[in-house]
This record gives sequence, structure tokens and C-alpha cells, in this order.
Amino acid sequence: MRRNVAIIGCGQAKHGRRTDVNQAELVAEAVWAAIEDAGIAPEDIEAYAVGNMQGFGGIAQPDLIFAEYIGAVGKPMQRVATGGTVGGSTAHLGYYEVASGMYDVVLAVSWEKHSDSAEPGATTGLLHVAFANLSYMMKVGMDMRSFAIMGLAGAAAGISAYQAAQYMARSGCRIEHFDMVAAKARRNAAKNKYAHLKWPNCTADDIAKTEMLIWPMRFGHVCPASDGASCVIYASEEAVKRLGVERPVAWVKGVAAYADEEADQGESYQGTAVSDYSDQTGAVISAIKAYERAGIKDPKKEIDMAEIYAPFPHQELMFSERLGFFDDGMAWKAVEEGVTEIDGDFPICPSGGVNATNAIGSSGMQRVVEAALQIMRKAEEHQIPKDVRNAVAHAWGGQVQFNTVMVLGDSPKRR
Amino acid sequence: MGVVRYEGLPFVARFRWNTGKIMEKFYEKFAEKQIIAARCENCGYTVVPPRMICPKCSSKMDEKNLVNMDGRGVVLSHTVVRKKLDGKGNFIDLNKPEIVAAIKLKGADSQIFVRLGEVEAEELKPGMEVVPVWAEKPEGKPSDLLYFKPG
Repeated sequence: MRRNVAIIGCGQAKHGRRTDVNQAELVAEAVWAAIEDAGIAPEDIEAYAVGNMQGFGGIAQPDLIFAEYIGAVGKPMQRVATGGTVGGSTAHLGYYEVASGMYDVVLAVSWEKHSDSAEPGATTGLLHVAFANLSYMMKVGMDMRSFAIMGLAGAAAGISAYQAAQYMARSGCRIEHFDMVAAKARRNAAKNKYAHLKWPNCTADDIAKTEMLIWPMRFGHVCPASDGASCVIYASEEAVKRLGVERPVAWVKGVAAYADEEADQGESYQGTAVSDYSDQTGAVISAIKAYERAGIKDPKKEIDMAEIYAPFPHQELMFSERLGFFDDGMAWKAVEEGVTEIDGDFPICPSGGVNATNAIGSSGMQRVVEAALQIMRKAEEHQIPKDVRNAVAHAWGGQVQFNTVMVLGDSPKRR
Repeated sequence: MGVVRYEGLPFVARFRWNTGKIMEKFYEKFAEKQIIAARCENCGYTVVPPRMICPKCSSKMDEKNLVNMDGRGVVLSHTVVRKKLDGKGNFIDLNKPEIVAAIKLKGADSQIFVRLGEVEAEELKPGMEVVPVWAEKPEGKPSDLLYFKPG
């Protein structure tokens, strides 16, 4: 029987281009903010779950260099690397450690530092991650140059253009809807002090004026390559009482993480059975299982808001359907009607989301942090006005096949 | 067969690590032939190179915590390197062995690893006092600190 677990503290580093700090200092910024937010002493933390994609920041085993920066010396620590999902996977690991009864108080932190790449954006990081794949391609007789042209460069980014086109064909949505979603991300980010790409009062027309990069994606649709770190602290129900936590907490009601076969080119480059990258069966199954564990029967009615991992605007539409918030092909209509705005009926990514701030490793964890802040009513300027009883934090990554879903709530699930 | 370079890819993958503000100060001070440390106000632990978080008690530190070391140190232990790689997968003998030592600077609680020079491996003993040897025209970068020697 899994135990009830609460998030008792959240911390974020200021995200953006952080050439003023090294990787250890960046991670420490989020960790100490979370410890302060939880109002506990570092000695109270029993174990650490940490995660990033090591190739991105150019440090192979970063957890070795920062234990002393985050009070983890002599304590159990485990690192996770699952690509874009890493923040979600690390958040799940920390939760498992408390839910299982192994520990009572666990800190989970994940981060990325893109600016340590000498090439623009995430190019260096993605290439380092892709090296294993590239060498495998040579073994099966594929030419790396043609693959680079096909758009592997950016395991997720390259494939997203195909995915967006497939989603448009299936749902009937138009590029103008991507403009609306991207404009909302920039506007919301302007209200979030930790966000990267802020654009107060940004409109869909502003985004529509930006250059078309790779159809159907414009420059204004693309997420930035940010530096940042996000952190949560979990405590068992007993520890919440023992530590005398009086501030509001967010309870983890259910988690699930499934992968499907949509790995770009398939495992070992032999092709994949899935031809529609916007299908994302892994997200559908993850959501169904997480809701079942959380005791949620009708996500449309019982979930109040969501933080979706959507580096590109079509993914916010696609995943909001895959996660059960809207019927298939209906999300763009909800966007037209303002349903997903901060003050709408079903706010999505009030923080500005991954489209406005993307420090890869941090992004999945940041969804959990932002969903928890909404439940704790601590999101400040981007706090949604309506009641938040249940919130969903989603992450997406790997070679586009991993999904993680966490349902948070204002009370522990009744047994 | 040697190294095969794969040409024609439209990008390369290099890194450019930021050291952080405090480490930048550490290297800047090399231009003045100075080694700086951070001393924790809470527990008194002194760490070289300086950091933003005390490794002992986790207190926050910043530029106010920076202190000058006089550079003198004591050898804790050492090793002698007699071979190097030739870049083709072979070992070659060094004409003169390199000595690498763990030393503790006077006033510091942490240790650093440095090259030792102007000394024979046979003469080395734990507890031996050493001083830094600087480049003639230091520019505020890691290569300014050439090695430590007995003194």
C-alpha cells in the first residue's frame, strides 16, 4: 500500500541565460529556495533524487560535483536521465521513495544549463545525446549527413514539425491557433518571475509576424534554450505532522509514466510501426492510469488546471486532448474561446510553460512545481483565480516516446 | 588506421563552461599572484577554491567571504607520473617524471591538487612546506600558476 505524500516546498532558480553561475550554483539556487519554502532544516532531508541530461551541460556526472552545494554529503542520492521527461521522472523517483516507505523526507531537483554549450541553443547537447544513435546508424549503413538533413538535429525538435503537421491534418486546426497558444505562453511568462521569454500583452498577430522556420512552425512558436533548475521537497503524511508544516501543501494523488513505440525512427533505427507522431499513446495511457490511481473519474470536470510539457504550441493542443481535458480535435476551439487562459475555465500553462522557458532537465520538474504552487495558491501574479482542487503536471521526452503524468491535489486521496 | 574525421555535418559540439562569479574572482586574482579562499562566517571552514555555499555547514557565502591566502602550503601526499600517452594509443616514458601532490594551503581547511617542481620525488615527504611559482607575466588565468616548489 503506497503512503500519502505531500509536496511541502518548491524552489526554482531564475531561468534564462545564466552565465553568472556555474552548474552547481544553479542547482543550489533552486534547492535552497525549496528548503526555505518548506521551512525545514537541511538535516531533515533523508535522500536526494536528482536529474538532468548530462550531455547538455557538458558535465558527465554532475551529481558528483554538487553534493556539497545542496547538503547531500553522506546521504543517498540517485540520478535520472530520460531526456525531456527527466524532470518528470526525477519528480516521480522522489515520490516513489517516500510513497514506498523507504524515506520520510526526500528532495528532488533537476536542471539544465544550455549556455555552457558553445553552439547556439541546444545543438551541442542534442548532438552529445545523439552520438550513440549516430554511431549505431553507421553500423546499419545509414549516412549521418542525410539523417541530419532529415531533422534528427533535435531529437524532439526535429520531429515536432512532422508532429505539428500531423496534428493539423487530424484536428483541423490552423497555424493561427499555434500563434494564439504561443502568444498566451509569452503573456503568461511575463507574469512569472522565474520565466525566460516574457512578452507582456503579446498577441497572436505579433507571433504571426515572425519568420516561418520549418512549416508549420514559425520563429515565434519555438521555445528558448534556457538555463534553470527546479526543486520540490516531499514528505510523508506522518512527516508533515512531525515537522509541523503549517503552510499549505500539495498532495500527490497519482502518478504514471508510460512509453510507446514512437521513438524517432524506432529503436535501433529499423523503423517504427507508429506513423502518426501526434498519436502519443504513451500520454493517453499515462493519464488514464494516473487518474485511476488518483480516484479521478472525469478529468474534464475534476481537474482544474494543467501544466503540460509543450515546447511547441501544437503540443499544448495535442497533449491537452491526449490527457483527456478536451475531446479529440477540440482543443483549438477551446483556445479560440479563451478557455485555457489564466482566468479561463480550464487554464493550461499559466506559468508560460515550456514554450516560454525550456531548461530541458528543469522543465518536467517545473510543471510539478507550478501545479503545486497553484494548489498552494502561491503562484503570485500568475495564480489562477478559480479554486484549484486537482492539477496535472505532465512531461514528455526521451526520443519522443516517454510521458509522465502526476496528479496533485489539495487533500490526500482517501483510502 | 588513425582518426577518421566525419566531415559535412552542419554543426560541431563544443562546450564553453561558465565558472561562476566567485571562481572568476579566483582566477582574476592569479594576475596579482594571489590565491584566494572563502571563509565561512558561521562555522569558520575555509575552502580553496572559494565557493558560494560552505561545504561544511551549507551557509551561503559571497564576495564578502573571500580572504587572501599567503600561498604557503604543506604536502599531504603525492604521486609520481612516469609515462604519458602519445595520442596514438601508446605509452611513452617521460624524460622527467611529473609529481602531483595533494597540498593544504596555510589557513585553509580543504586540499588542492597541484604540480610540484624543483624537487626530486625521493626528497618528498608528507609535511614538506611548499610555495607557488607563478608565470613571469600572469594574466588572470589557470595557467598562471605553474607549480609549487619547496620553500
